[in-house]
Amino acid sequence: MQLSNRNKGRIGATLCLVTANLFSTTGLVQAQEVQNAFDEPATNGPGNIIMDGAVMYYRENNSRIQAIEPMASYTDYADNGDIFSIKLTADSLSGASPFGATPWIAPQNFLSPTSVTISGDDGSTGASGGVVVTDPVTQMKILQTTAKANELPLNPGFQDTRGAANLSYTKALASRTRVTFNLNGSIERDYQSYSGGASIAQDFNNKTTTISVGVNYQHDLSKRLYGTPTPFAVMTGVFTDGTKSENIVSATAGITQVITRNWLVQLNYSYERATGYQNNPYKVISVLDPVTGAPQRYLYEARPDKRTRNAVYIGSKLAVGSFVTNLSARYYHDSWGINSITANASEHIPIGTRGYIEPGVRYYHQSSADFFNYFLLSNAALPQFASADNRLDKFNAITASIKGGYMLNDQIELYAMADYYSQTKAGTKGLLPGNNGSLNLFAGVKAISVMTGVKYRF
Amino acid sequence: MKKIIPFCCLAGLTILLTACSTVAPWERDVTARKSMQLTKNANFAAINDHIYYSKEGSTGGRSTDGGGCGCN
Repeated sequence: MQLSNRNKGRIGATLCLVTANLFSTTGLVQAQEVQNAFDEPATNGPGNIIMDGAVMYYRENNSRIQAIEPMASYTDYADNGDIFSIKLTADSLSGASPFGATPWIAPQNFLSPTSVTISGDDGSTGASGGVVVTDPVTQMKILQTTAKANELPLNPGFQDTRGAANLSYTKALASRTRVTFNLNGSIERDYQSYSGGASIAQDFNNKTTTISVGVNYQHDLSKRLYGTPTPFAVMTGVFTDGTKSENIVSATAGITQVITRNWLVQLNYSYERATGYQNNPYKVISVLDPVTGAPQRYLYEARPDKRTRNAVYIGSKLAVGSFVTNLSARYYHDSWGINSITANASEHIPIGTRGYIEPGVRYYHQSSADFFNYFLLSNAALPQFASADNRLDKFNAITASIKGGYMLNDQIELYAMADYYSQTKAGTKGLLPGNNGSLNLFAGVKAISVMTGVKYRF
Repeated sequence: MKKIIPFCCLAGLTILLTACSTVAPWERDVTARKSMQLTKNANFAAINDHIYYSKEGSTGGRSTDGGGCGCN
């Protein structure tokens, strides 16, 4: 069929009207009906009580860390708009983890304080897989372990548990103003963390704009068995420093904006200032022969006692029908020289009338800390700070994830997720001195995590 | 100065988007959905935050929640 110029004009005008309608201020898609249980309004309105229980399993490659983490929460949405919640979490960790020493072509011996039994009640992180000796002067028990040749040395067989509690109370001051107070505590055998915070959220523009401001104070205690090692002290397994602490003050400001009926965005800025002990008492750095690369000794790491972090986060959620596209990005900078970018994308896909799945991908890249180094050389003067902790290295990380949920009825939701996480070295590969370039210094991790849970609304 | 530029761009973008919003109170049915909550599942978010906190050098941005760990 041939179209006349007049018909072409009419069709063009009609298309314009349709397009304008689709992108009108009422949203990208016109009047949407509830087709899936997750299209229903969130059930966090007044008069509801929600109990939520889940368990997570985490496992790293090469028999490194594995963890089981059960968690349970209770949230009461009172009729007057107040919200009270409590959450309890437990962690059980075991396995081995890199502690900064470089691999070498011959076996290496390491010393660390230990309790005799794996699950001792003396405040230690237990360890196994080596020989325990008692220091004749201090009477401290010292574990001697041997790392195999050509392999990245790992802290063998450590075992630890953690318990954490979070309390939160939100008070509705007016229909558009809410204040929230929270308390958090986390206790491990060798580490304790306590924090408290307050935030206020104010709605504007017919509740399409929410501005929130929050502050938080955190106090951490590092109390490895027998104390903490002196920075740059030679690894002997004997510690002379006691329990150390750090204080962290943080603040966040955010704005959440409903852009159209189907689209909302969130922008946050966070600032954090940490002072005090920020070493990891388990981490060492190898001192190598500058010609052969052979390890001469191992020194406990030394980090600055101040750290300032800044982060900007932007997130977007866009609904098209019952589908929701989630996008977010974060830019991070800290005073140790680490810059990072994070990008997240996922798609909420309705399944039938009661379920959904949400495949997603996350990309992360960070630069290394200014004082990060795989090793020090024995013929060079000690720097002011040095750490070989792989978390301060330059690397990329990719996460592939799948999440899902299913509403059994109006009150019970079953949910699950599975993640695969992989770190890869970014930039120039670190090389040992001498002819040992095949030894891999990068201690990045690959891990899987799975979680399943159930949410019940009274 | 270079570090401030991205912050200013994002803040400006948000203010611009705020000014564009004409959504009436009775049109917020979609953003009220379960699937549109900023934290759709608190446990998913908590687990991811914990794993990334213990394996990466960066933290923050999304919330002020504290409660760290001495993660090995």
